[in-house]
Amino acid sequence: MQRREFLTRSFALGGAALFGARALQAQQGTPADTTGNLFDMNQGAARTVTRPPKPGARPSMDQDTRDALEHKIRCQCGCTLDVYTCRTTDFSCQVSPAMHRDVMALVEGGYSAQEILDAFVDTYGERALMAPKKEGFNWAGYLVPFGALAAGAAAVLVVLRGMQRGGAPAEVPMDGVVVPPLGTPDEMAKLNDAIRKDD
Amino acid sequence: MILVGELALWVALLMGAWAATTSFAGGALGREDLVASGKRGLYATTAMMVLASIGLWTALLTHDFSLKYVASNTSANMPKVYIFSAFWGGQAGSMLFWALILAVYSAIAIRFVPPKSRDLVPWACGTLAMILLFFIATVCFKANPYDRLSFVPADGRGMNPQLQNPGMAIHPPNLYLGYVATSIPFAFAIAALVTRRLDAEWLGIVRRWSLLSWFFLTIGITLGMWWAYVELGWSGYWAWDPVENASLLPWLTGTAFLHSIMIQEKRGMLRKWNVVLVVTTFLLAIFGTFITRSGIIESVHSFAQSPVGTWFATFFLAATGTTIYFVATRLRDLEAKATLESMVSREAAFLYNNVVLVGIAFSVLWGTLFPILSEWVRGSKITVGPPFFNTVNVPLGLLLLGLTGVGPLIAWRKASTSNLKRQFAVPAAAGLLVGVVLFALGMRDGYALIAYTLAGFVAATIVQEFQKGISARRNIHGESFPVATVRLIGRNRRRYGGYIVHAGIVVLFAAFAGLAFKKDHDVQMKAGETKELVDPLGHRWKFVSQGVSTSETLNRFVTAIGLEVWRDGKPQGILTTEKRQYFDSNKQPLFEPSTEVGIRTSAKGDLYVVLAGVRDETAELRISFNPLVVWVWIGGMIMAVGGLIVMWPQAERRRAPSGYVATLEPRREMAATT
Repeated sequence: MQRREFLTRSFALGGAALFGARALQAQQGTPADTTGNLFDMNQGAARTVTRPPKPGARPSMDQDTRDALEHKIRCQCGCTLDVYTCRTTDFSCQVSPAMHRDVMALVEGGYSAQEILDAFVDTYGERALMAPKKEGFNWAGYLVPFGALAAGAAAVLVVLRGMQRGGAPAEVPMDGVVVPPLGTPDEMAKLNDAIRKDD
Repeated sequence: MILVGELALWVALLMGAWAATTSFAGGALGREDLVASGKRGLYATTAMMVLASIGLWTALLTHDFSLKYVASNTSANMPKVYIFSAFWGGQAGSMLFWALILAVYSAIAIRFVPPKSRDLVPWACGTLAMILLFFIATVCFKANPYDRLSFVPADGRGMNPQLQNPGMAIHPPNLYLGYVATSIPFAFAIAALVTRRLDAEWLGIVRRWSLLSWFFLTIGITLGMWWAYVELGWSGYWAWDPVENASLLPWLTGTAFLHSIMIQEKRGMLRKWNVVLVVTTFLLAIFGTFITRSGIIESVHSFAQSPVGTWFATFFLAATGTTIYFVATRLRDLEAKATLESMVSREAAFLYNNVVLVGIAFSVLWGTLFPILSEWVRGSKITVGPPFFNTVNVPLGLLLLGLTGVGPLIAWRKASTSNLKRQFAVPAAAGLLVGVVLFALGMRDGYALIAYTLAGFVAATIVQEFQKGISARRNIHGESFPVATVRLIGRNRRRYGGYIVHAGIVVLFAAFAGLAFKKDHDVQMKAGETKELVDPLGHRWKFVSQGVSTSETLNRFVTAIGLEVWRDGKPQGILTTEKRQYFDSNKQPLFEPSTEVGIRTSAKGDLYVVLAGVRDETAELRISFNPLVVWVWIGGMIMAVGGLIVMWPQAERRRAPSGYVATLEPRREMAATT
């Protein structure tokens, strides 16, 4: 087949595929738009987290500690930020201000940081926290990377020791090094002869 | 032109299939004519992809809103530059862009294969054509930017305002250039495995393309951090989002490879490991794309809701299976050519560095996937956010920083005790001095102290290496300091370019450690009100509100507040921060309001002000003091410059041969030179 003929047939086939695809699309309708560039905010994600104030309750922490606590609680709007960061960044989010109000009420009600975190976990599940609690299966999350590193290091040491025991380094050409071609037997004989005379 | 572009896309699909089939057939049957046809098919695919891309750009720039992609990602009143960059701003366009880059890269890589590596061409060309075919098919069938709407809207929805930023116009192309470049080493690795030609030939090609990938990924990641910092308004540059993690994974394994390849070049060792790293880097690029576009992991990037996930999963599994088969059946061909002489040698140090780099890559991947694993095992969803990643990765990062200094100080093959003492004395003292001085000045954050101590140590190793080289040149050649410096780098670009990259790493880690001292303040201010705050370095700042203003410009309503700023009693000018509500040509609001951060940058740190909201004429602001942030961008730039120096082609210089050279003449004279 000649090149021109090949190209002509390719374009014809391509055109057929294009119009086939268009016909199919017309039959099925335009697919749902999934090309948005950033996340869609879920403004209805906030749920109420309340506890009755403790008897004779006083605020359990100062503002800095409360802000630090809000860094540990995840905003549920879909932004993946913590409550403090989201509410101080984006005034269009209605979820993080609502969660912030719940935190403030619990602080006013005399609840400790851990009790507040537990209250949010009770309502939203563990995904209310920015990091998994260090308990049960979650320990795997924290420890496996270090375990893997230790195992990798141990494996490397074993391999290196094995290589060391392998004896003296082989005198072989290394990758990436251009080694000149060996001489012909005749040339080598001439060289040996020359060296002997030099000695 | 738009129709031509659309047609070209489908022709590219056919050409890609042709190129893959004929290349593999040519390789298997040993038929040169088929191999040549496969190459021509690849070039034709590239030409068609260029046409398809021109078609989409034409549609974007001429506002052809009959195309769903154009209507979804642009509007008539958008600045031209962002209409141009909308090409890669959405899912379908970014896939086409990926395929375009891959096509161009593939054509260049195959066109310029050195003659000695011709045996690799059919398999490399076939592999590249297969990857290209996958991407073109994905574009044609799952994410086609030429999909049409059943009606033609008067205007488009526009681009998310947070993407209308110069950083976002250039950050994705750099990342794609980096991701896609991993395909070339992968293809040549597969070709080398298939043909069992696993010596020096493929390494040269692979190293160049791996460097190119690393270079663009470095720039892309740095630009991404900069964009997040200036645009998103959450006062940070790295959130361990799955999309960010996906870019970091191939960078980490690529960096490991660029170190371990030196051991193979110099000692003929780590041949299996290097093949594994090359293919892993590519597979991680694909896997990262899968996890961020399949929806299996929650991300701020709505690519997560796209339908291409299944395709990527299938492709990833097929590529992984093929790779495992070829590596497993070629293990004997990948035996090391030399043995290790000492555990205290540069090759051993590089291997330790590799373990840590791959360990970090594993921990990032593990953290990214752990929510899925947890859901499978326990049935409940969890969040793995920055606190988790910092807990796990900060110690590993510090270990890596330490090894960055150790590697270059140890001799190849075997380091003697005297060599170690001589090399380590000054850098270790410098590092300790930095740590002690910072402790004496009141720094008590453990990780930050370790980071600065190690940074001091590594910086001193780099200075020591440069000082030795420059002194030697000045003594031997009598050159001035600047000339000796330039020539030192120019004559050994790989070594000294690498040290410059290490200098960038030091700067980056020093900047990262600065975040330990970050301070945020949540304040409310009415017009004329004053607030006084103290930054982490003890400077006293005063802010006077000039009140909230509203205005309307090109394609947005703007709510802004100006703050008069003083530092230690000295005026610093006026800092403005805004909320923007973008609208379409009918003045209808588009997207959620976006933030324009007010930033005042200095070498010591950034003043970072965000207008969070306005209630009852009271502005709600977050004022953050972010120490050393500018050094993140500087560190990234230094790394990129170092990478560029390493990549820059070096002309082969004629050197007088060292050692004895025997001349074989008829008269049998022996000439000897040293």
